Amino acid sequence: MEGSSGAGREPMTPKQRFQAVLAGDIPDTVPIIPVIDGYYAPQVIGRANDECFMDGGCLAAALEGALERYGYDGTLAEMGLGSHPNVLGCPVEVEGNDVPLVVDTVVRDRRDLEKLAEPDPWSERKMEPVRRLVDSVGAGHAVLGSVRSPFEYAATVRGLVGFMTDFYRDPEFVHELIAATKPATLAVGRALIEAGVDALVIKDSFASSSMISPDHYRRFAFPAEAEVIGELAGEVPVILHICRNSMPILAEMARTGAAVLELDSPVDLAGARRVVGEGIVLKGNIDAVAVMEKGSVADVEQAVRVAIEAAAAEGRFILSTGDSIPLAAPEENVAALVEYGRKYGRY
Amino acid sequence: MSQTLEQFKQAIVAGDVDGSVALSAAIIAEGDATAEQITDHLSAAMEEVGSRYETGEYFIPEMLRSAEAVERSLAVLEPYLFERQHDQGGVVVMGTVKGDIHNIGKNIIVSALKAAGYEVHDLGVNVSTAKFIDKVKQVDADLLLLSAFTTSTRPALLEILAVLEDEGLRDNLKVISGGASHSPEFAREVGVDGFAVDVKSTLAVCRKLLGD
Ligand code: B12
Repeated sequence: MEGSSGAGREPMTPKQRFQAVLAGDIPDTVPIIPVIDGYYAPQVIGRANDECFMDGGCLAAALEGALERYGYDGTLAEMGLGSHPNVLGCPVEVEGNDVPLVVDTVVRDRRDLEKLAEPDPWSERKMEPVRRLVDSVGAGHAVLGSVRSPFEYAATVRGLVGFMTDFYRDPEFVHELIAATKPATLAVGRALIEAGVDALVIKDSFASSSMISPDHYRRFAFPAEAEVIGELAGEVPVILHICRNSMPILAEMARTGAAVLELDSPVDLAGARRVVGEGIVLKGNIDAVAVMEKGSVADVEQAVRVAIEAAAAEGRFILSTGDSIPLAAPEENVAALVEYGRKYGRY
Repeated sequence: MSQTLEQFKQAIVAGDVDGSVALSAAIIAEGDATAEQITDHLSAAMEEVGSRYETGEYFIPEMLRSAEAVERSLAVLEPYLFERQHDQGGVVVMGTVKGDIHNIGKNIIVSALKAAGYEVHDLGVNVSTAKFIDKVKQVDADLLLLSAFTTSTRPALLEILAVLEDEGLRDNLKVISGGASHSPEFAREVGVDGFAVDVKSTLAVCRKLLGD
């Protein structure tokens, strides 16, 4: 795209780039917002994951540090690694640099649904890193709050195996679980909006056609997505993230009311654009494991070029990884994502 | 008899839990099926389920449904099998290694192995080295199956192998690993005896390493 229409314009701030894309305008260059979360970021400032686990100051500093080091356009503002499962009372443990583990589930049968009645996402402690990031980097950069869908929260409190076994054993219970976790998604979403985020990422990690059939997606996951997005999208734009292959359900995803679809690496971006039409922003989709963790700098360059060629021509594209960057991804690869994103992303 | 077994297999493939339980009772009532015929049909069913997943016809809930049908049927069939089964398929200890909580793939393999007549001790997820070693000794396992889905589990795998080596347990025990992050190179570097990627190849590698 080098040398096309935008040449010679004033450079935009990172936040303006993000806003331009959402408004359907062509920015100076493709915005770059990789999925760098509280799992990857602590090491950037020399801290361990267990230190930043529930320490909002550490977490915010880590995300600020990563943004400064790599120079991308927007950051996730996380509530703290343990917070998502914690929202609904699941015990979480983390050791050293390991990923936090949800060590138990809270819903074994219908009687346990009551336990979900009082989520406490408003707690000062959980919103502290979000507010700090909004203050520290929010003027110039996009700040994205992150919340889980009711479907994902339901799977978490029930345990994924139990949850997906219920699809056939007791589908009504699946609906009840999702209804019971919906208030948590809404409460967290609203608290993030109040804390000042520019957009909300709603993650529905288990809804893809790599895990459940499109038919089950339509029955269980989609209605809840559409409902919570309907409630939240009036305030800020919503980015819907579904891991792995979402191609068979893209048309529905485009109808949830999400402004942005965050697509993972199995999805073909050009094909996705044809399915969702022009109005929706696509964000994606560099392979977080094969390219970012295991690939070389040359692999990153190639993947970035392919993604931009496939999806960025008419604007409405944010360059990103398809999913969270693994802890072991080399620094050079993250740096290369930004470097080549700038090189090939100029309008 | 063979018709009941064939229907039984189809019920497992279809994930018809009630149907497969009823057919288990019918198999017992008829009384002429050998233990080997039953486990052959069960494992063929789970292989079929696995291949339907690989080809995209089945998704995870469909596999879990069939796994449940296996578990529930085995609960009914166990006394019958116990009476008739002279040579067990082998004793297996299986779990997901420390630092990793992925359990879907592990559970599917556990069901497939049980279906194939193995005695399976499932230790769950995030299992410490000590727990694996203790269980291997306690049940005198023939096979240790380690699920490892993230690449960061490598140190955990290496630790288990090192302790087995130190304690002189590797001669009579075959160690097999598998899971999403596995490649042949990964398995070779770690030094396991075998690795596999799906139900079919897992059953094949278990058979091969047990020498039948
Ligand atoms: C569901 C899922 C989760 C769920 C797991 C819930 C649960 N109860 O299992 C949750 C959300 C908790 C999760 C968490 C994480 N996950 Co995850 N997850 C997945 C996902 C999408 C599907 C896994 C699955 O169930 N597949 C279906 C089953 C049937 O397939 P399977 O697991 O491969 O099992 C088959 C074979 O591997 C084999 N098999 C399995 N075990 C064994 C054992 C032996 C001995 C043998 C021979 C064969 C064998 O047979 C099975 C049947 O066919 C995969 C993506 C993928 N492509 O697999 C990522 C994936 C495994 N996760 C991944 C990651 C990175 C994570 C996290 C670190 C993410 C994060 N940033 O927090 C955490 C780690 C948590 C932890 N420490 O364990 C990566 C691992 C990549 C890597 N190289 O490390 C994957 C590959 C996704 C990706 N591409 O990024 N995850």
